[in-house]
Amino acid sequence: MIAQYTCIAPKGDLLCLQKLCDKLSKRSFLHVNSTKVGGGVAEILQRMVPILNDLGVDARWEVIEGDDKFFEITKKIHNAIQGHPESITKDMWQYHFEVNKKNVEKLNLDADAVLIHDPQPCPLIEFKKRGKWMWRCHIDMSSPVKNVSNHLMKYCGKYDAAVFSVAKFAQAMTIDEFIIPPSIDPLSEKNRELTEEEIKATAEKLHIPTDRPILLQVSRYDRFKDPVGVIRAYKMVKKYNDCILVLAGSPASDDPEGAIVLKEVEDSAADDHDIYTLLLPPFSDGDINALQRIASVVLQKSLKEGFGLTVSEALWKGKPVIGGATGGIPLQILHGITGFLVHSIEGTAFRIRQLLNNPEMGKKMGENAKEYVRSNFLITRQIRDYLSAWYSMENKGKSFLEL
Amino acid sequence: MEDTFEPFEFTQSVSILKSIGRKARNLHELTTLIGGVSEESLFYHTYQYFSKGHILEYTNEFAYWAGENLGERILAEHLSNIDPYDFKDIADLRKKLLEVIDEYLKEFPEPREVLPGDDFYFSETVTMVFPVGIRAGNLAEFLMAIKYVDGSSIYHHFYEARRHLGRARDDFSRWFETSLGKKSLAEKISTIDPFMHTIEGIRAHIAEFVEEEVRKDMGVTGGAK
Repeated sequence: MIAQYTCIAPKGDLLCLQKLCDKLSKRSFLHVNSTKVGGGVAEILQRMVPILNDLGVDARWEVIEGDDKFFEITKKIHNAIQGHPESITKDMWQYHFEVNKKNVEKLNLDADAVLIHDPQPCPLIEFKKRGKWMWRCHIDMSSPVKNVSNHLMKYCGKYDAAVFSVAKFAQAMTIDEFIIPPSIDPLSEKNRELTEEEIKATAEKLHIPTDRPILLQVSRYDRFKDPVGVIRAYKMVKKYNDCILVLAGSPASDDPEGAIVLKEVEDSAADDHDIYTLLLPPFSDGDINALQRIASVVLQKSLKEGFGLTVSEALWKGKPVIGGATGGIPLQILHGITGFLVHSIEGTAFRIRQLLNNPEMGKKMGENAKEYVRSNFLITRQIRDYLSAWYSMENKGKSFLEL
Repeated sequence: MEDTFEPFEFTQSVSILKSIGRKARNLHELTTLIGGVSEESLFYHTYQYFSKGHILEYTNEFAYWAGENLGERILAEHLSNIDPYDFKDIADLRKKLLEVIDEYLKEFPEPREVLPGDDFYFSETVTMVFPVGIRAGNLAEFLMAIKYVDGSSIYHHFYEARRHLGRARDDFSRWFETSLGKKSLAEKISTIDPFMHTIEGIRAHIAEFVEEEVRKDMGVTGGAK
């Protein structure tokens, strides 16, 4: 399976991965999260676990179960960690713990290394028997609701290490804190190479004309993604450049605001037939892939963002990306090299005009973009980093290790 | 020469980043933390700055932060002028960083604070080193290898090895001099400015100097292209 990544991932990453797997050969590595399908974590684990096994590590993936009440509570915890005002009562924390305790009866938590993903299964640490346990936080923890993060930290402090996506998400803790950005899988439906026919078929199916430059933003209809701001920027550009705007998002059943924001977007776009507001069904990865490939400029004009992996997805397709300077976006967009970081609607419009009027600049940035993702944001790098974290924990105190 | 000859073994390094959970919002906090963080952390923010690719306006993360996040351009220029390879150890580098910031604070005693989220986040790394399976037994083999070896291997031998492995110079010039007796080639490599080139630029310079030397050894006249 790892052979599929030869000629795609950097040679050095693959070599390091092999060396680490040789060191950790036949050792057991367990991942635990709360969903088998849907979401970036499950998507990556579906690929990561077989790759690890292919390389000789005994990798497993367990999923905790919970009822609606449990997931309502963990959704609130998730929101509070990201800074939304939420109140988690003592009973709710107790229920969170009890569901985890009940899961322990069904889960096999025996492993040399255990990676627990996100807050839902975080209390499992109370049932640790052996091995190195790491808590992997995929969400933006830079400005959490304090009493919620403090409660969660009581569990986190019992782990051997924590893993965050970005340095600014890390906390003041007494355990090791590794910084491991998320990644994209270049072979997945969302990122694999497409034929001209496949791309054309998507454009035809979605009725997107390809006779003019396309500006694209792929994101949920969420105020933090500023879709209305994108429309305003497009309207500023339109005075100078004939282009079309595509906003592509999926309905989010767990987000009651989604429908309201979509309505605002449709109202803003109502008088312009060159704006395409798409509500794609779940699992539209192939269509998103095609849209990213036909776009001239990709936008991710977020006002607040976790990591914003859609940026890397577009960069991987050789597109310059204009993104809000927030969350993990500045890690992916090197200003002026792989795209532009912006701070306002006006700035967004200006950078779009720059790229539309300088196709050579866009092409060069696109080339840089693909290479930058190849070096930094592919799944092989993420697997390498997880194993490096585990191996360094086994060699605690050493900052220099020979493989 | 025969007694000391060793082939050049290309290796590569990969670093994993660790947060130390400390951050600075202004220059006063920065100096306090620079004074107290681990040597590994200072190493990461200065010597390992180049592992992320060059941003040529700056030569270390403190300078980048002062210039881009604090908007203290004068200080950024002063910090960028610090050459970490000038110091015999990290304790001396730490002293120099503090001295430069203190001098600046004497002149501008009320530095601004960064916007929320633009703080300086202190980190350190754990570095894994491994052989890439390429060996050069002579200059011609080295020339072939340097053209095709992964860029991160060049980074490792040219930057990382100087300090992390306790060596005073880059691995290439050390090998040219000690194993091949090529002192003048070693000197040429040593003069490549580590702050002014991308990894690919460094590869090109090394290849050019080595090719000139190979041509000279073979008695070929005319410039290398």
